[in-house]
Amino acid sequence: MMSNDFLKRVAFCYLLMLTTLSVYAQRTELSGTVTSELNEPLAGVSIRIKGTNIAAQTDTRGHFIIPVDGPTTLIFSHIGYSDKELEVDGERIVSVVMEQNTQGLNEVIVVGYGVQSKRNITGSVAKVAVDKAEGTPTMNIAQTLRGKVAGVQFTSGSRPGQNGTVLIRGRRSLTGGNNPLIILDGIFFNGGLTDINVNDIASMEILKDASSTAIYGSRAANGVILITSKRGTTNKPQVRVNSLYGTSNASHVMKLLDSRRYIQKTLDVRRELGLPSNPEDIRQYLTSSEAENYDAGHVIDDPWKAISQQAALATLDVNVSGQGKNVNYLLSGSLADEQGLVYNDQMRRYTFRTNLESNLTNWLSLGMNSTFIQRNTSDKPANPTDALWMSPFGSLEYEDQEPTLYVIREDVAKNPLYDARLTEYEAIWNNLFTNFYAKINAPFLHGLSYRINFSPSIRWGHNYSYLRQDQHREINNTSASKFNQQDYDWVLENILTYKTRIGRDHDLDATLLYGRNHFGYESTTANASQFPADPVKWNRLDMAILQTNSSDATASDGSSLMARLNYGFKNRYLFTFTVRRDGSSVFAANNKYAAFPSAAFAWVISDESFVANSKIIDFLKLRVSHGVSGNQAIAAYQSLSFSGLTRYVFGDGGTTSIGLYSANMGNPNLKWETTTSTNIGLDFELFRGRLNGTVEAYYMDTDDLLVRRSLPITSGYTSVITNIGATNNKGIELSLNTINIRSKRFEWSTNVVFSRNINKIVHLYRSDINGDGREDDDLGNRWFIGKPINVGYDYVWDGIYQDGDAIPAGKKPGDVRLKDLNGNGVVNADDRTIIGPTTEPNFRWGITNEFRLGGFSLSIFLNAMQGWVANIDELNMRNFTLPSRPFNMFDMDWWTPENRSNTNSSLTYVNSLGHGKYFSRNFIRIQDVTLSYAIPPTLLHKLKLSSGKVYIGGRNLHTFTKFPGLDPELGYNVNSLYPMPRTLSFGLNFSI
Amino acid sequence: MIRNLIFTIIIGLVIVSSSCNEKAVLQEIPLSALGTEVVLSSEAGFDNYLTGLYFSARDELMTRKDRNFYYFMNVGTDVACAGILSWRDTDNYETSLTPSAAIVGFYWTWAYGEMIQRANIIIANANRSDNAGMWSSQKKKNEVIAQARFFRGYTYNVLANLFGGVPIVDTVYGYPKTDFVRSTRAEVYDFAKEDLEFASTWLPATVPANQEGRIVKAAADHLLSEVYISLGNYPKAIESASRVIESGLYRLMTERFGSAKGRDGDVFSDMFKLNNQNRRSGNLESIYVWQFEDQTPGGAGTAGYKNILRVWAPFYVNLRDPLGNTGMIVVDSLGRSVGGCRPTNYLVYDIWEDNWDNDMRNSPYNIRRVWYYNNPASPYFGQQVEKKTTETDTMQNIFPSIRKVEGVRGATTNIADGSTIEDFIVYRLAETYLLRAEAHFRNSDLQGAADDLNTIRARAGAKPVLPAQVSLDYILDERARELIAEEPRKRTLMRMGKLVERVKKYNISAVTRNTISEKHELWPIPQSEIDANFSAILEQNPGY
Repeated sequence: MMSNDFLKRVAFCYLLMLTTLSVYAQRTELSGTVTSELNEPLAGVSIRIKGTNIAAQTDTRGHFIIPVDGPTTLIFSHIGYSDKELEVDGERIVSVVMEQNTQGLNEVIVVGYGVQSKRNITGSVAKVAVDKAEGTPTMNIAQTLRGKVAGVQFTSGSRPGQNGTVLIRGRRSLTGGNNPLIILDGIFFNGGLTDINVNDIASMEILKDASSTAIYGSRAANGVILITSKRGTTNKPQVRVNSLYGTSNASHVMKLLDSRRYIQKTLDVRRELGLPSNPEDIRQYLTSSEAENYDAGHVIDDPWKAISQQAALATLDVNVSGQGKNVNYLLSGSLADEQGLVYNDQMRRYTFRTNLESNLTNWLSLGMNSTFIQRNTSDKPANPTDALWMSPFGSLEYEDQEPTLYVIREDVAKNPLYDARLTEYEAIWNNLFTNFYAKINAPFLHGLSYRINFSPSIRWGHNYSYLRQDQHREINNTSASKFNQQDYDWVLENILTYKTRIGRDHDLDATLLYGRNHFGYESTTANASQFPADPVKWNRLDMAILQTNSSDATASDGSSLMARLNYGFKNRYLFTFTVRRDGSSVFAANNKYAAFPSAAFAWVISDESFVANSKIIDFLKLRVSHGVSGNQAIAAYQSLSFSGLTRYVFGDGGTTSIGLYSANMGNPNLKWETTTSTNIGLDFELFRGRLNGTVEAYYMDTDDLLVRRSLPITSGYTSVITNIGATNNKGIELSLNTINIRSKRFEWSTNVVFSRNINKIVHLYRSDINGDGREDDDLGNRWFIGKPINVGYDYVWDGIYQDGDAIPAGKKPGDVRLKDLNGNGVVNADDRTIIGPTTEPNFRWGITNEFRLGGFSLSIFLNAMQGWVANIDELNMRNFTLPSRPFNMFDMDWWTPENRSNTNSSLTYVNSLGHGKYFSRNFIRIQDVTLSYAIPPTLLHKLKLSSGKVYIGGRNLHTFTKFPGLDPELGYNVNSLYPMPRTLSFGLNFSI
Repeated sequence: MIRNLIFTIIIGLVIVSSSCNEKAVLQEIPLSALGTEVVLSSEAGFDNYLTGLYFSARDELMTRKDRNFYYFMNVGTDVACAGILSWRDTDNYETSLTPSAAIVGFYWTWAYGEMIQRANIIIANANRSDNAGMWSSQKKKNEVIAQARFFRGYTYNVLANLFGGVPIVDTVYGYPKTDFVRSTRAEVYDFAKEDLEFASTWLPATVPANQEGRIVKAAADHLLSEVYISLGNYPKAIESASRVIESGLYRLMTERFGSAKGRDGDVFSDMFKLNNQNRRSGNLESIYVWQFEDQTPGGAGTAGYKNILRVWAPFYVNLRDPLGNTGMIVVDSLGRSVGGCRPTNYLVYDIWEDNWDNDMRNSPYNIRRVWYYNNPASPYFGQQVEKKTTETDTMQNIFPSIRKVEGVRGATTNIADGSTIEDFIVYRLAETYLLRAEAHFRNSDLQGAADDLNTIRARAGAKPVLPAQVSLDYILDERARELIAEEPRKRTLMRMGKLVERVKKYNISAVTRNTISEKHELWPIPQSEIDANFSAILEQNPGY
């Protein structure tokens, strides 16, 4: 439950903010500078005093001077930027940061190691509308990607504090990582996306093609997410407060047997096994302890309910920002508190940020971006997988309300609440991530500048756990463990840039980089069991009888050298050339280095005379790029062969002997996985901005895949990491923004995103042993030439054998009928086939409709994925092992002689071929609906606020799907039966 | 100009930092892992690798508590079928013994992924040229190799018993190999024989008390005897067994001994009591013992302690008193079992018929035939459990129970766990006699066979067998009386080609009797292995 304390804290902080309102004195003249959000001076900005004709314009350095008289409102306007009003009352110097229009062509886009205007971008870069996250319960910045960016698949977990997974343009690597690289304020961020405070973020860009990612070389093959934190934008200190409160319930649960159905199951399974099954004797068929609860009427008809809690979330974020002549600052703090749907599942997160930049002189500035995050995931949640097996006639508690170990005495179905209630668990994770930098403009050559970044990242955390004495167990079951981890990484980068214009038509922009990076990890675990008493918990492990410990450490290093040249001719024909050479310690001795080149060309067609006068086309740009990027997503030491650890005790009363064994097959030739990609894109803006969008097509070949390939165990090892084979991803992406209706009071706009990615394995081992002229598949790994990387490969269901059917020997009515695909009269291993892709859908699309009426706006976001499947083993019968034991199961409509199901087998079906049961994961979901109201200026004035907004939002409101699992987007995993929350939230943003 | 200077200095730093020796930094020296060759360059390192092999050898008991070694090596034979309802899927040979069955994959993975791989690495590295000067003596080196070769031979014998011919892997592959092919069963036995002959030559006769559990010469000779039988070389089988019997180191136990000496029991029951398996306890019958040790890291395998009781005894906690209420509760003196293996009538009645009262192995200390209600809340508390008639009761909840499997649970083991901490005897002298008896019989020496059988029977107080009565079936009966719940019965039957015949004769599950067929004398090759070995065809056994 959300604590009252927390709400009080929220209220207190609000009060604190209100008291910081300040009063300013009067003056009569004003000068200042106007810059973009990325601190570039803006020339030609017009400044007008509200209600007068007094106006001025900024010069090339962004400077302006304007006479003022008393309290005045200045209006700043500039093409591609939102108009900005500034109230002044006596200041002499102001600096103003203008925010770009989201659809403006001069919108500044962050690219690797620099910024560019959207107009001049040559690669495939998508800017994410981060501000749209306001009004939705966004705890994780990646949630803003879901269904909003073409080609990006984000899947969140259903539990508090989970990172989820992001996949950009499909899966390339068979077993290497497929996670994109996260760059936070220019530096590799070695943390989860949930570690970043959403309200600290000014912009987020997704780099998709090789031209834009190649500058990140070895880690960029899976795409890059660039995140830039906010800076001060106003002269006057600005305080912004965002707060949100929400509650959640389960959007879908998989129903278990209630007591009536459980009894039916018990009778049906007995009858089919030829045992007595008289309903009146049910007490005899239940176990003794079940019979006791049956007699007493103690029944748990919904185990899910028994392990659930009221889910809620609350966030509070406060930031203070501003800028003076020589300093720009942002300070922020946030706290988020989230209670999951399952008992004891919780996450609490604090973040703090300091962004500071100081111009020491006109040629030297120093700065830092620093963030500290603490994530607390203490407490052991109940285990939903244990709840799945729980008999409705089981007991979760003894009479003294202590938890039982097993829900029934006779069998070992574990109490889903046992660990949750007996374990004290503290899990705290800290992340301190800082970038210190200096920028120097070369005094002797205009346009030449140098930047040095040094970014230490320290992450440390601990998991401490104590299992207290179970009063109902006759042994000393107490045990404790302490796990401490510390990671230390650093990145050092030297960056030289030179920007110039030669003549009228030639723009040059060159960047050179040399950098080094280090990653280090160490951990210690100490375990102890059998304490004399509970209270010392993990604080005195040496008080316990049996103590063991272990530790671990790894380190890896890298170096990088990068050059990039942007060349623009007539500002219409734009070229980008990059090359990056990376070195990494994780590869084998002969393959430490690899180079990744790329080139891109863009043509602004709308600047050509034959289009320039078109009344339809406002802007049209064609982009083509080609390049190579790399993947080093393997852990340290994987090219080496090393020893695993076991122990043995010889003799009676003996001591421990250490046993070692060869744990893996080394690979002295392990090298980089590389992706070569080609991208063609068309950016357009039509009908005076009413329709804009991007269409892109790409083709990516990934070679020398880092593969953990399974081996015949006969060889002594189960798998080895190798470079082998090739995969291909090709796809198309479409993003469209339309303004359907625009009037003074009403606006309706639509955003449509569609993507299709076709993923396939091109080569594996280039072998054709069976001589059929076609490269061999790898059945062991379920890898098939020409098919997606992750597919279900299985037998095909053909209904259920019914009485009267021709039933083969060994089968009986109620058994699953499998298709004899090769028609040879026998169903065996040769009748397996590819059922469908299991991790990536064929199509993804999202539609967002926004309606604005006066101060109200309503946003409705639909998200959909289609063309994928998942196997749900627990909706299948393996044999009667589980149904015949006092275990629960998902309530499915199993076959009986009376209920001749053609979709579910009987309870006694023996699945001797080990086949699965597949379901379509297609879905359309009402993902987010937000209704917000912007407080009108008159009221703001009375409240002494500069802006204010209240909203209510719903997330995951309804899913249209036939998938019987918990969530079609998440798929199915029996070890993670956490329901997907449906969240209703209320929020408030204001600034002073 | 100062600004020029500063700029130049900083750019200079870039060059300096670039010139640092990058190569050295990118060189990988693991912080937390030891390479195989680094360890295998001293005698101590070899002993660590041997210890890893001993760990795997004990893990033949399997990495799971239920449906483990004790279960699968007994159900579906002449001695047992599945008791608990939910395990009866294994009664059906046709549907449960398939190329994708977990048990089939387990044995293959254990054999090739652990035992043979670990043995091969030790053997290959012991002979590494740069280790030539490391060994303190040739004898020491050969003792190390002998232990590894024992385990390799042991494992190939298991594989040949279960699968017939399998690929012979005698080296370490440093690259992915996907073209294994099967050798014949005889070739595999022959390969095992070579390993065991070497082991017999170089293994020590005994080990110090604090090293018990290590392989000694007699273990190699004992197994050699079995392998020679499988190869049809009976004189060599007799010779190998005789080396053990006549070594002077081993004798059948005839007097009470060890930890339970002062309590009710007999010498046969003594052999299975806590701490009575190693020679230090005075048990001079044991040859090879898997070691368990409570409260000591390494004292348990992947699935914990010994899970034999959990599998073999009845699921008595489900018994109701005549009023239909809880009759039994779990107590330490009985332990907890789930009634996995239900003994056949053959095992608990037929084989004792002629010696019901005089054969020690049928004494109340060795087979529990009488049960008492022990739930204090039941009015029947303390009364003998009456004759039960429902199928669930007689198959799962109560039946004559082999008491060898009973034992002591660990200090922190939950009572419901059902595991116990005694060591487990893999080979003991009684079986050596049985192997020699079998070799004599197959060598047409009925008198010799009868003499060996009678040595064992005499210790148990059973009437002697006449030479004319000896047959392979009689030897199997005697093995059941002596070694039940110790020997992997299914492997013994498969080795002798008697599985199908004796299942049809003695198994009490109609499903088992009706579904077993000739093909089941051999297990199928795991489908996953056939799939992964795509560069050559790994032939499936016929009928699968």
